[in-house]
Amino acid sequence: MLEHEANANANSTHSKTTGLPRKRFYRARAHSNPLSDSHFPVPISPGQVDYSVYYPQLFPSPDKFDGSKRIEFADVGCGFGGLLISLSTMFPETLMIGMELRDKVTEYVKERVVALRSSNPGQYENVSVVRTNSMKYIPNYFEKEQLTKMFFLFPDPHFKEKNHRRRVINLHLLDEYAYVLREGGIIYTITDVEELGVWMKSCLEGHPLFEAVTKEELEADAVVKLLSSATEEGQKVARNGGQTFQAVYRRIAPCVSNCEKH
Amino acid sequence: MEEESEKNPETDVAPALISVHPTHKFVSVAVGSDLRVFNLQESCVVTLADESGAHKDSIRAIRYSANGQLFVSAGDDKLVKIWATDSWRCIYSVVSEKRVSAVGISNDGMFVCFADKFGVVYVVDIEDHDVEDRVPVNKKAVPILSHYCSIITRLEFSLDGRFIVSADRDFKIRVTIFPKNPVNGAHEIQSFCLGHTEFVSCLAFVGCQDYPQGLLVSGSGDSTVRLWDHTSGSLLDTYNCGAQAELLHSNGKEEEILPAITDLCTTPDSSVVAVAIQSLPGVMLLRCNLSTRTLSVAKVVSIAGEAFIPTSIGGHLGF
Repeated sequence: MLEHEANANANSTHSKTTGLPRKRFYRARAHSNPLSDSHFPVPISPGQVDYSVYYPQLFPSPDKFDGSKRIEFADVGCGFGGLLISLSTMFPETLMIGMELRDKVTEYVKERVVALRSSNPGQYENVSVVRTNSMKYIPNYFEKEQLTKMFFLFPDPHFKEKNHRRRVINLHLLDEYAYVLREGGIIYTITDVEELGVWMKSCLEGHPLFEAVTKEELEADAVVKLLSSATEEGQKVARNGGQTFQAVYRRIAPCVSNCEKH
Repeated sequence: MEEESEKNPETDVAPALISVHPTHKFVSVAVGSDLRVFNLQESCVVTLADESGAHKDSIRAIRYSANGQLFVSAGDDKLVKIWATDSWRCIYSVVSEKRVSAVGISNDGMFVCFADKFGVVYVVDIEDHDVEDRVPVNKKAVPILSHYCSIITRLEFSLDGRFIVSADRDFKIRVTIFPKNPVNGAHEIQSFCLGHTEFVSCLAFVGCQDYPQGLLVSGSGDSTVRLWDHTSGSLLDTYNCGAQAELLHSNGKEEEILPAITDLCTTPDSSVVAVAIQSLPGVMLLRCNLSTRTLSVAKVVSIAGEAFIPTSIGGHLGF
């Protein structure tokens, strides 16, 4: 921590007044190809995820981790981390992680969390970020029924039909999300691309382990408001007066008699 | 009885494959695009009847159904051929969009599954097959599950038929509930068996009458054979065959890369697992203790003579 602080102060990539990293030094392409094999370490199984790396204040050493408190929220493709930062104070007792494929963006979120922790002692200890390809390695990070919320905010639209299989929400990947979500867990999706919004909704609608969250529940859920207001992408859309399309679904128990959902 | 095959020295040829009929009636061998079946009981070559023509490219997967009535072959020509073993006629020919890397047959013989190069597993419903048809019927396959863009190396059904297990080139083993009506997809994942650090090359189940649900064994490029409780995904035991094989067949030169496990074979009601290892001209037999849930070496069978690399292992071991 101390070393990080010293770095942050001496580092010109950080704001001198707030100590926060400045986004313009962490520019990256908007999207990254999930099919290319990048080289970064991947835990062999969820039991081997070292929580002391991500939550050093809560788990001071790797052997102190007893599995009693595990990550419950995952922001898949977290970008610059706006949503997580808001969620961190809204759910101070919940461990949450952002998963991001782009190296520079991950570094930005890392620095942002470090800076927020040092300027707000005791806060933001429950939020972290990891550079990984969530489309390939979700089961390496989370056990069955571990998560209570998953977020997919403003994902890459992959317009071309031959690239639809690269979309982070698709019928087959939903099997894996259903596996890591516990019953009653919620999957939040939002986009400013209507075509993708329709696609994500139809994938979720067609999956037997998800059901739509009712309008009343959506209105009562404070997290739903953050989808468009807390993220950098959402704010950009709002600035430009754009429209957003959201789909929020609940993980449900499988139908016992193999019945069909139609 | 046990079988194995030599790798053809030509580089472009797919690894040779072998499969033995469950009641020892036939043995099938595939080398490249060539498929040959030998009748073990009558000691004669079987003539294959296929109106649609033979495979035109490397065969990557062959297997018999549990009751021996069906045989499936598939590979790089994107065709899945389903044969009736009584007549050795090709009864179905299924066109895949991509090259086929693995095949499986549900224990009741009603569904054939195959995996393509994109990591998608498809199912074909074959329960309605008409024995009168002379020409192979073209069937449409539907996708049921997917490993995200990782080539699937093996498909296997659990002994009780509840699960379809898929292994891939990324070290992953996925255990999925096989629904009664799989054409609507297999969405419910039972577990992931994670522990291998290299590609998973082979899968098999060991079980006995006292333990009918059985346990899963897997072999990998990391040179280990691992034993799993597939319902929970927990790793029960790891046996480092590569290190053992090196020890037993030390020829003086130190190899940095441990040899890959190329294939595994088990038999019903037996706790013995036969293991083919890249560097071992022979077979390693492991014993699986189902009550202590452990693996140990039973015997290493060396095969003297010409040097070869075992690529596939099939058959039924009698002791």
